[in-house]
Amino acid sequence: MKLKEEEIRKITLDAIQELGANATPEKVKETVRKKIEETGGGEYIFKKGDVSSGRVILTSFGLNKPGIVAGVTKALGDSNCDIQDLTQKLMGDFFTMIMVIDISSSQKDLKQIQEEMSKVADDLKIKIYLQHEDVFRYMHRI
Amino acid sequence: MPYEFEEILETIRMTEIEHFDIRTVTLGVSLRDCHDRNIEVTKQKIYDKILRYGKNHVKNAREVESRFGISIANKRISLTPISIPFDSCSLEEYLEIAKTLDKAAEEIGIDYIAGYSALVQKGMTNGERELIKSIPYALSQTKRVCSSVNVASTKAGINMDAIRMMADVIKQTAELTKDRDSIGCAKLVVFANAVEDNPFVAGAFHGVSEPEVVLNVGISGPGVVLDAIKEAGQVDLQQLAEVIKKTIFKITRAGELIGRKVAEKNGIPFGIVDISLAPTPAEGDSIADILKMMGVEDVGAPGTTAALAMLNDAVKKAGLMASSSVGGMSGAFIPVSEDQGMIRAAQVGNLSLEKLEAMTAVCSVGLDMIAVPGDTPASTIAGIISDESAIGVINDKTTAVRIIPAYGKKLGDFVDYGGLLGKAPIMEVRNLSCENFVGRGGRIPAPMRSLTN
Repeated sequence: MKLKEEEIRKITLDAIQELGANATPEKVKETVRKKIEETGGGEYIFKKGDVSSGRVILTSFGLNKPGIVAGVTKALGDSNCDIQDLTQKLMGDFFTMIMVIDISSSQKDLKQIQEEMSKVADDLKIKIYLQHEDVFRYMHRI
Repeated sequence: MPYEFEEILETIRMTEIEHFDIRTVTLGVSLRDCHDRNIEVTKQKIYDKILRYGKNHVKNAREVESRFGISIANKRISLTPISIPFDSCSLEEYLEIAKTLDKAAEEIGIDYIAGYSALVQKGMTNGERELIKSIPYALSQTKRVCSSVNVASTKAGINMDAIRMMADVIKQTAELTKDRDSIGCAKLVVFANAVEDNPFVAGAFHGVSEPEVVLNVGISGPGVVLDAIKEAGQVDLQQLAEVIKKTIFKITRAGELIGRKVAEKNGIPFGIVDISLAPTPAEGDSIADILKMMGVEDVGAPGTTAALAMLNDAVKKAGLMASSSVGGMSGAFIPVSEDQGMIRAAQVGNLSLEKLEAMTAVCSVGLDMIAVPGDTPASTIAGIISDESAIGVINDKTTAVRIIPAYGKKLGDFVDYGGLLGKAPIMEVRNLSCENFVGRGGRIPAPMRSLTN
């Protein structure tokens, strides 16, 4: 069974009302998903293995210098992005940093955050890529 | 960390350095409900339908591109072979339809729209004859319309009458677009065993057994395979096959993800992923370079066909494992003008038309983007098409001919289109006649292989 957009919107609004002051994006999502699964529409919307998370992989690299991690993390913090994991390597003068960030609680969408980060990259003269986690999951995990 | 450091860097390297991109996301649209007795109404119906499904195609693809950081080189549209729903049209009316398609493509913001096609492997209807006659005018009077004609199949045999007609059409198209290096011929493909879900323009069309609308994706990535082989170093052929498979597996997975997401955004079903290795004129994005890295001195050297066969097979095997929706051509493309390595090999004379023909027996398509002297007789072109069709029909595979008898050009000259179509040296054609063979007309009967029931 395929659910229409209006029906999903209605379920979401109900969920927000039900949760009242406790409503956070995660809780609302969870409640909505349960509801949809109960009505049998889940088959279409949440196909197994096809659930997109709000996680994004940030890769940055360039010449090492002070203030890079500070610059990147500050911009992410300002956009309300949650850094879930971080790893960094230095090879001679070059550094590479990879972060797993959760943008689901950010007020901005991926495109806006990408734009923000490209400004940071220009300031710091480094490269920054932000890609949705799914692309890595599809390519490197069966 | 859920992913290894190296895994993430590998993906970044593929997309940023090795030219890995999705070659095309192609929206297939059925036009079977667009016919009307009044040609003006027909045109309006066609235009409206293409716009209805296609208006956000480019925008949606761009969004998916930036979300996953993988670029999509082409966004295109394929249509029901025009001769099928509009069989009652005359040459002039077909031309009107071609112009409508051109206008719709321009409105949507895509460079090519394909499906100005006919399937005539066994015989042709009056409408199909009219459409084929209109092709030279359609290709010279529009910018974005691409045409293809299927002239042979394993089940039906080889329709020599259609091939002769197509040879004349190709010659005429070359003449009508002589001011732009006969570019019309670069938008015209003659097929044997054409597939219905091919996303690659110019040969794409939306087959009659396809749904109302569907999104197919064609992947690319010779650069990625090239670097993987380079990195593998001096390993034996079995290990080499393994290296190629692992790489193709990853890019097919990425291709399927992108295709599904674009389809989802458009709100239409996802069709297939075509796991073809498609080169571009960019340096390092070349099938020829892969063959050289595998160990042949240049494309055309003895061993080239074996290397290509192995590459093609590894591509298929890895693709099948990576996706359950494999379709289209799925193999390696060897277009001359779109591949720097092939251009060089043809230019210095290492690669001949005959060797290319042998290579097409083991790769996914056929003689693709080959420029030949403008004075090549139509009967010789018909001979080349029938040779290529024979390879396809006997081996039960798709073959195609996209040949450019460049008007006014001779051996040593070039045709240069720029962009993705690239540039091709004029290649030598044997000066021997097959007039009396192709001139017999009729149909080469279907081979033994067709009797499988």
